[in-house]
Amino acid sequence: MTVQVREHQKTPLWRNGTVLKWTAQIIVLIGVVALFVTLASTAFGNFERSDITFGWTWLSNPTGVQIREGIDVLPDSGAKAILVGIVNTLRVAISGIFVATILGTLIGVARLSSNWILNKMATVYIEIIRNIPLLVQIFFWAALGRGLPDLTVDDVGVYWFKASSRGFGLSWIFPAGGFWPWLIFVIVGIVAARYVAKRRMAHQEETGQPGHGGWFGLLTVLVFAAVGWFAWPILAFMEPILDAISDFILNIPPVLVPVTIAAIAVVSAGLWIRNFFDSRRTPAGFGKMTDDDWFRVIFAGLSGLVVAALAFVIGGFAIQTVGGETLTVAELLLKAFSNFFGWLAGSFSPDSVDGRLNSVRTGGPLVFERPEVILRGTAQLPQFGQTGMVITIPFFALWTGVTLYTASFIAEIVRGGVLAVPKGQTEASQAVGFTRSQYLRLIILPQAFRIILPPLGNQYLNLAKNTSLGLAVAYADIVAVGFTILNQTGQSLPVVLIWMAFFLTMSLTISAIVNHYNRKMMLVER
Amino acid sequence: MTENEQASERVLGDPIVITDDVKKWFGDFQALSGVTATVREREVVVIIGPSGSGKSTYIRCINRLEAHQEGTIIVDGIELTNDIKNVEKVRSEVGMVFQQFNLFPHLTVLDNVTLAPQWVRKEPKAEAEEFGMGLLEQMGIPEQALKYPGQLSGGQQQRVAIARSLAMKPKIMLFDEPTSALDPEMIKEVLDVMKELALSGMTMMVVTHEMGFASQVADRVLFFDYGIIVEEGTPEHFFTNPQHDRTKLFLSQIL
Repeated sequence: MTVQVREHQKTPLWRNGTVLKWTAQIIVLIGVVALFVTLASTAFGNFERSDITFGWTWLSNPTGVQIREGIDVLPDSGAKAILVGIVNTLRVAISGIFVATILGTLIGVARLSSNWILNKMATVYIEIIRNIPLLVQIFFWAALGRGLPDLTVDDVGVYWFKASSRGFGLSWIFPAGGFWPWLIFVIVGIVAARYVAKRRMAHQEETGQPGHGGWFGLLTVLVFAAVGWFAWPILAFMEPILDAISDFILNIPPVLVPVTIAAIAVVSAGLWIRNFFDSRRTPAGFGKMTDDDWFRVIFAGLSGLVVAALAFVIGGFAIQTVGGETLTVAELLLKAFSNFFGWLAGSFSPDSVDGRLNSVRTGGPLVFERPEVILRGTAQLPQFGQTGMVITIPFFALWTGVTLYTASFIAEIVRGGVLAVPKGQTEASQAVGFTRSQYLRLIILPQAFRIILPPLGNQYLNLAKNTSLGLAVAYADIVAVGFTILNQTGQSLPVVLIWMAFFLTMSLTISAIVNHYNRKMMLVER
Repeated sequence: MTENEQASERVLGDPIVITDDVKKWFGDFQALSGVTATVREREVVVIIGPSGSGKSTYIRCINRLEAHQEGTIIVDGIELTNDIKNVEKVRSEVGMVFQQFNLFPHLTVLDNVTLAPQWVRKEPKAEAEEFGMGLLEQMGIPEQALKYPGQLSGGQQQRVAIARSLAMKPKIMLFDEPTSALDPEMIKEVLDVMKELALSGMTMMVVTHEMGFASQVADRVLFFDYGIIVEEGTPEHFFTNPQHDRTKLFLSQIL
């Protein structure tokens, strides 16, 4: 029997799914680009009419901005001030993420515990912290900190720990002269430790006896660190080498910078496309590419070319530096790299040049310092001195606020992740004889981690973005510093653009790291 | 009885699992109301009964996945109490196969089989893998060794689960409805493996609804209802001449 095709004619264009799909893609792309161009030109047109000129010269101009805390409290330029703000924000974000993860995991596990008291304590913590707005909590910690006793003349002296309304003085370990050469010893030690740990694991697999790979690895690192503590001056020969690299970079023709970046962009786009084609290749032959696949290939190729073109355009921008020179971005980049190597070379010299490090923190590669209360200035006001770690009240309030807040959410995520592992996994593990700690480590946590990871990444993003609430307690993060600059110069648009670019970069970096682990942990299913 | 010839060839040994007046409650629901039974070495005991009759709870008490509240359970000379060390010792000698397989989805088939021998029995990896591959061959799935459980069919997964238990070289195997989650065509491949295991002299306690398996392989059938053993006996007694009304009713409904 033959099947009768009722209508057999060429499909008209407006009914052809492929054509419609492609048209839609292109229209959307053109629409988005057109929207942005219109918005930008309207905005700049309005700015011009209202005599506001936006520019970037404030980045290199000297500012009178005074910053309450950070790597440089009297920055000589707008760019430096922004950098201080960025470092302050990153300090809160990175240490906050680190501590919130540990604290949240512990509380989450405590909430799963069959220990009644532990369980209820964790529940109370979570319910209190996550149900009060973060801003209120930050104000609470700030009020608590400011309510501490003020420093008085009687307080002058050296302490292990000192809490006051001016902040907390902590004893801390700092890098000192010889830190970088010593770090090289430690890094070599870590590489060696990985090898040792691997050998111990192989031993365990061969004999079945516990290999204690972790302990042996730790021991190796400690040995290298101890040797390096005394031996670091022998790396002084690195100084001329690094100096030579620094000089060499300065002599590279600036045009090579955009050329290199463009080449990297084009090559990585090409590699991506090649990998993409490879991924569509099955043992049976080349798989059929869908329209979406082709669109992705074209988009990847185009973006490679756009980045390459942008590298030349941006690399050619001339910028006036603080010193009064006019350099292109490419030249500036080379100079930055050259300076970095020059600075590294200096730190390899046995008589390290960093004045502050030498005057205050001499000794080995690391130095242990205790906080000190001194009388400063003509008014002889009691203040914390240069030594030790001083946590200011704004930092304390913001850090404690975001960390405890995020930890309560992470605790719930961890609890949910562990509960989401089927009960049968625990039973099967018990049935084959694993002890509790064994099956938690080998069976339950690896599976829970897969479930936890994506929402955990969201919490990291929230924490990083919530640091902008530091403005409320006058913490000198990038938002507060930017606000000061904005008020002084009136350059609202560029400052907002820098804020956006910074938070976008930070968030995307966090996402990329989390996604990388997420892909690595995916379960193989049919 | 020709069907039961294979079973009768096995020579039963000393008692290895002894349960005496075992009672267990879940809240105010009494799951076990005094179960007394003894299983001897190399014996195959099939436990049947309606759902909710306590048969699963009973064999889960044997390796203390559930803790019984009254009575005594002695497995291979070790009494099961709150003593964690004793519980671990018993668990490393008693294998268990679950209705839902419960394979570890993040590990390959071979790792599923060899992980416990390496960590619990402290066997060298090479030795554990050799033994594990041998078991997978016995189960008829050596070519699946490097795949993940999610890539296998239900019948294959259950055979991996059996191999995982056998890798610990257990003295007793517990089966908790091993074929209830399988497609009909896969039930046979799992039952065949279990029959082979019974022939090799393994002590087995099997909760199942497969009456064919019970009549061919079992030395003894226990019929559970309301948390007690209502009737027990050889398969021929059980299927041809049941004494209790409850047993008769149950058999008439399922056969």
